[in-house]
Amino acid sequence: MRTGIVVGVTGALLALVLLLGAGDDAGPNAYIVIGIAVGSMYGLVALGLVLVYKGSRVFNFAQGEFGTVAAFVAYVLMEQVTSVDIPYWAALPAAVLAAVAVGLLMERVVVRPLMDSPRITLLVATIAFALLTVGVEIVLFLPEAKVLDPLIAATDASGNPNGIEIFNYILEPQYMIIIGVLAALAVILGYFFSKTDLGLAILATSQDSFATRVVGIGVERTSRFIWGSAAFLGGLAGILYVPISGSLTPGAMTTGILIPAFTAAVLGGMTSLPGAFLGGIVIGCVQSLANWAGNTYTITIDDVVRPLQTIVPGLPDVAIILVLLLVLLIRPQGLLGTEA
Amino acid sequence: MTATATEAIEAPTRKATSDAWAPSVGGWTARLLVLAAIFGAVIWTTANVPSYWADRISLAVIFAIIGLSLNIILGYVGQVSLGHHGFVGIAAFVAAYFATENAGCSIDSCSFGTFLTATAIAALSGGFAAMLLGLVALRIKGLYLALITLAYGFVAERSIFEIPFLTRGGAGMPATRPDGWATDREFAFLCFFFLAAVVFVDWRLLRSKVGRAILSVKHSEAVAATYGINVTAYKVLAFILSGLFAGTAGSLLAFRAETVVSNDFNFANALLWVLMVVVGGLGNRVGVIVGSAFFALFPFLIVLIGPLEHFLRDTVGREPDYFTIVIGSALAILTIILHPGGIGDQISPITRWLGGKPFSLHPDGHHHPKEPKEKGPGLLAKFGLHREATESEDPTTSELAALGRAVGRTTPSDVSQRQTPLARDGQDGVQPPDVWGALVGRKDGGNS
Repeated sequence: MRTGIVVGVTGALLALVLLLGAGDDAGPNAYIVIGIAVGSMYGLVALGLVLVYKGSRVFNFAQGEFGTVAAFVAYVLMEQVTSVDIPYWAALPAAVLAAVAVGLLMERVVVRPLMDSPRITLLVATIAFALLTVGVEIVLFLPEAKVLDPLIAATDASGNPNGIEIFNYILEPQYMIIIGVLAALAVILGYFFSKTDLGLAILATSQDSFATRVVGIGVERTSRFIWGSAAFLGGLAGILYVPISGSLTPGAMTTGILIPAFTAAVLGGMTSLPGAFLGGIVIGCVQSLANWAGNTYTITIDDVVRPLQTIVPGLPDVAIILVLLLVLLIRPQGLLGTEA
Repeated sequence: MTATATEAIEAPTRKATSDAWAPSVGGWTARLLVLAAIFGAVIWTTANVPSYWADRISLAVIFAIIGLSLNIILGYVGQVSLGHHGFVGIAAFVAAYFATENAGCSIDSCSFGTFLTATAIAALSGGFAAMLLGLVALRIKGLYLALITLAYGFVAERSIFEIPFLTRGGAGMPATRPDGWATDREFAFLCFFFLAAVVFVDWRLLRSKVGRAILSVKHSEAVAATYGINVTAYKVLAFILSGLFAGTAGSLLAFRAETVVSNDFNFANALLWVLMVVVGGLGNRVGVIVGSAFFALFPFLIVLIGPLEHFLRDTVGREPDYFTIVIGSALAILTIILHPGGIGDQISPITRWLGGKPFSLHPDGHHHPKEPKEKGPGLLAKFGLHREATESEDPTTSELAALGRAVGRTTPSDVSQRQTPLARDGQDGVQPPDVWGALVGRKDGGNS
């Protein structure tokens, strides 16, 4: 049944490409390419959300902030440390490590003391931690936009764009890296949770932490591992996404990415790692197609032809939320989830 | 929570006992004097501080109204709303639109009647917006409802607040302050009247049948239903009430700013509002008001402490405003972990005394002169640092701890049963009687 769903969703996407815009420059094909690229970004953040949910049964509102912290650390190392010229390949692991440190700190200070409290309490605590991080960023870096360069520049030395062209849309190298990283992570994590001891211990903890303790599994250790790896994923996402988004501001990942990523995770089933991957891509495509529809279709009011976009502002965001509502009301277990 | 909830539920029994303690005439006089001094100090401050700070005080009062609105959902219903900027913002735009486009207020003048009508319409629109959310809340609870409220605010922020005829193409919809209340100081006093009205409604309603029904629904929907309480209706009613308050606050925010722009109502605001209610103390009216005002007045308080302001401005090089989020969220984390009762719980000896009870530092407000102080887990133990302290005498726990040590993987702090209720009755170290829970043989507070 699960294979059926995956095949169905992928088939539906392909059918959309073929039906709506085969050979048509104004068709939605380019938008679908953007959608898949942006969607893999959502998937990457959603992977972290799912990981935490599997382990701690809570929505982690600080997931986006792990990314912003990593991006700021990379920015400081590369732009503000002038005495030593730190190359990108050295700054990147340092930034991700900083995110992991923040994740471990959060686990120790906020999550561990609240392990046995109601989930809503822990939810509010993660919100407080996310805002604390944003606040520290504001104090340190002021609410001003900064720029972080991508791993591979979008244009080469002579000004020609890098990257491959699909349906008249030139996909930036950074997006290709994101898609590759996400695919690799989904496979690795899928293997980890089904085959390794630690992975199974994490699943056991999430189902019944009391029984897990009785059989001698260190719940603290699994919790530490979960939050550390979630922060690792978040940090990676921040480093990869912020250069594309164009500006690095305090809370950049929380305001821009977190809500679509939550939708992706819920659509995927909240407990399924491949589901997060699939959900991210679908949400990216829905958002991008809504954008296309808003620009393409028009409504005539008082003899003035207006694009849909101006009648319904924020159409792509509304489309995401509609998906979220539909999933929660009709199929709360999501596409690949095993529980409601 | 505790004070209001238990009072509301126990009200009939308390009336039945005739030998209840009551303060003497002198006691009442002292209480009235202290109350008058507190209110006098607030009014004197508002009347005498520079105009800029009077404006800030009006913001604090509006924050208090928003806090009370959120308190209904967080404290009384026991759910989380992360989309309150949606209600407040919709109401602000509605109020401004009505005043400027329908009632014809100019930039210079707007009648007081128009202001009142605009506020009433805004409150109703906020109530309607919240009702829609309340209907969703009937099917979805807990974490997923939090996600829905988040989505709700997101749609409002990205779509509704960008509609050109509401925002005048992004320039903002003007909302002129009513004649006679146009200066910052006058407007602050006007906000005080609205806060008083909201507090009165909240207080009387919670003491009524409706309030008891809403609280019982929070404890256990199943038990409430067996008592013949219409769970659906009261849940939606609580959301509507919250929306009415939020709408009132939205209208006041609109007239305070005099131009409503979408940027004033963003996601970060909604999160900060939730935290201020948590810091204030869930379900505790006075605590929520104090906590909300603290969040709005925070920079003001820093300026009052001269050396601190000097340190921040000159040594650190940042405006005091920048520290609001850091301090606010750090306080919220500390509140949740160490003292879930919040500010309201800390000041409860004073508020209880003012309410006509004997002065007592004991959490439940009764005299326990000879009883030794209960030993709760210490500060270090709460973070799991002080491992000996968490060894409890409960046989199952200590046996399990021994088992864990034998296996060599777990530590005693693993098995300490720690309870940190956020949306549940309870003060540090003292469990209130869980009437509903006992009826159904349930030990959990029912908020997961």
